[in-house]
Amino acid sequence: MADFEKISELMQKGKADEVKQLCAEALEEGVAPKDVLDMALLAAMNIVGVKFKNNEVFVPEVLIAARAMNFGLEILKPAMVDDDIEEIGKVVIGTVKGDLHDIGKNLVKIMFEGKGLTVIDLGADVSAEKYVEAASNENANVIACSALLTTTMTQMEAIVKAAEDAGIRDKVTIMVGGAPVTQKFCDSIGADIYAADAATASEKALEVCTK
Amino acid sequence: MTGKEKVLAVLNKEKIASIPWLPFAGVHSGRLKGYTAREVSTDAAKLIESLREVNKLYKPDGQPIMFDLQIEAEILGCELLWSEDAPPTVSTHPLSDTADIPEHIPAVNEGRIPLAIEAMKAMKGEIGDTTALYGLITGPFTLASHLRGTNIFMDMIMNPSYVTELLGYCTKVAKAVSTFYIEAGMDVIAVVDPLVSQISPDHFGEFMDKPFAEVFDLIRAAGAKSSFFVCGNASANIAPMCKTRPDSISVDENVNLATAKKITDEYNVVIGGNIPLTSVMLFGTQQDNMKNTVDLIDSVDNTDLLIIAPGCDMPYATPVENTIGVQQAVHQTEQIREMVKNYEGTEIEFEGELPDYNNLEKPFIEVFTLDSITCAACTYMKASAVDIKEHFGDKIDMIEYKYTDPQNIARCKVMEVKQLPSIYINGELKYSSIIPNRSEFIAVVEKCL
Ligand code: B12
Repeated sequence: MADFEKISELMQKGKADEVKQLCAEALEEGVAPKDVLDMALLAAMNIVGVKFKNNEVFVPEVLIAARAMNFGLEILKPAMVDDDIEEIGKVVIGTVKGDLHDIGKNLVKIMFEGKGLTVIDLGADVSAEKYVEAASNENANVIACSALLTTTMTQMEAIVKAAEDAGIRDKVTIMVGGAPVTQKFCDSIGADIYAADAATASEKALEVCTK
Repeated sequence: MTGKEKVLAVLNKEKIASIPWLPFAGVHSGRLKGYTAREVSTDAAKLIESLREVNKLYKPDGQPIMFDLQIEAEILGCELLWSEDAPPTVSTHPLSDTADIPEHIPAVNEGRIPLAIEAMKAMKGEIGDTTALYGLITGPFTLASHLRGTNIFMDMIMNPSYVTELLGYCTKVAKAVSTFYIEAGMDVIAVVDPLVSQISPDHFGEFMDKPFAEVFDLIRAAGAKSSFFVCGNASANIAPMCKTRPDSISVDENVNLATAKKITDEYNVVIGGNIPLTSVMLFGTQQDNMKNTVDLIDSVDNTDLLIIAPGCDMPYATPVENTIGVQQAVHQTEQIREMVKNYEGTEIEFEGELPDYNNLEKPFIEVFTLDSITCAACTYMKASAVDIKEHFGDKIDMIEYKYTDPQNIARCKVMEVKQLPSIYINGELKYSSIIPNRSEFIAVVEKCL
């Protein structure tokens, strides 16, 4: 019987090759790929997210766990039947224009993926137009923007405005975050959701996409 | 004691009666003179003029020359994205796709090092006797991340020997630049490494111990003092940082200063910090800044081995009066504590009567100060009003209200005076914090005659 606990532990330690191998073994034993995904990989990512939030693990540990998750996914994805890969939701993410802080954004992306969401990463220094263009082309449920500077967080208002101008505002949920961003700021610019950390952000995004 | 003596005494671990004040006015300095961030990052004359103004208005005990973590990276091939209201940012990472270790060590005449050195030498001559001067270099880890990009985090786990080697190279760069700045007269070299807040204490021990200790040893051997600046939540790394033997460390508002100080005290290391940059310095009122500073000072077990500073580089647009408020609160803590109390106390009613501003006989200049004796900006503001009064003689009236008197606080409340020092003419705010230029001031008063 596949040991989800063990896969989870190895993944949290970033042991990519072992995770890959155990995922393959699980499939050989006839375990449903979706179960391995949910109960081992995504569960592990959830734990990592909480530990990061509590200052028990740091950026390198999260990144390395994410890499191990992707190794596992490589095995699981091809084995999944169509039913399994029904898309939960799509998120367009990026750091706003003029801002190159991308560590937080990358962690949020990882946690989104850890919830099984499809993420389109636009990188850093992303203009309002680019977010909106990508969101319309991809038919995304969520635009997630990150800003770490007080001088760039004002860009988020431009993104809300650009979404209105493009006529997609009612179709897309706009999430904002990054160290200087607050719930109050989120409300003041007419964005939809604020979260203080990546784990909470992913929970809220999942809620939006499954509603 | 001069400010410089205070800073050096504290860094020498002596117990002194007052707390040194170290405003991190990087590109914010330009704002005092109407220059953009880009201008003070690229033009020595404008930078020097701005630094002079910082010294005049903020009465620093210690003062940085440039707060720019991109100087070394630019020389080593990173492209920069420039901004008018923030320091430039590294936008490309030359080592992102290669495991090569560079060899080039910046020379004293490369990139913007000559600009930094020119400003250092000029400031050394002008204010170096009374103000401790800080030369800021990019710490080895942050420099490595500029060169490699954020892949460096994964490398720490997947390719540790590469990281050690790259950090070794960055340490050589840090040592070279420290030497240039010490030779240019800097009293303190601050090794600025915000990225240190993002790794575990184990990783700190594995990778950072040796590079940082080496840089601090070099600074010590050269006869200068050192500081380890970090931004972000570095709470877990305070002890490891102390073990690299800097004279001081400086933290931002993500770290609880009182808790961290218990640790730095054990290691006999000075701690500096940590007025919140955004919520308080940028967006707060002057009152918030004074209160916050007093509360911060009250929060620590003892005020030995302590420096009060903003959490990190001050935002370009930080209101001048907020920094002045912090300065006053550090230098005149008891007086400001009283003021804050009086301001917060709603019981004080304004007992006087406001002038009938619409029916004045002559133009009426009112100067509101924190205290024109102890607050430098207030002294200049008051002096400019006295000068104008002398110029116009009996044709105008002039008065100073000091915030030290509870009735004056009440008057400020009634008149909705928010920033000190400021000058009102005929009941209207004309100048705040930045000292008016004489001819302009005269012209304004003439219009009212
Ligand atoms: C690391 C760092 C850097 C690195 C960035 C490397 C990189 N590739 O990202 C370097 C050294 C390059 C850098 C440069 C600069 N930095 Co910097 N930097 C930091 C630091 C120390 C940590 C940021 C970080 O990565 N944290 C870790 C991550 C995981 O946390 P996070 O980003 O907050 O993300 C979490 C949450 O906010 C949330 N989240 C994030 N995004 C999103 C998005 C959504 C949608 C949601 C829901 C949630 C969410 O989830 C994340 C995980 O839990 C902060 C200090 C601080 N107090 O934050 C300063 C800080 C952000 N930097 C600052 C400054 C000023 C600068 C510079 C201008 C420095 C200079 N003087 O030269 C440049 C400008 C860069 C630019 N134009 O972008 C200031 C900003 C001040 C302000 N409020 O405006 C800070 C606050 C430091 C300080 N105290 O002064 N910096």
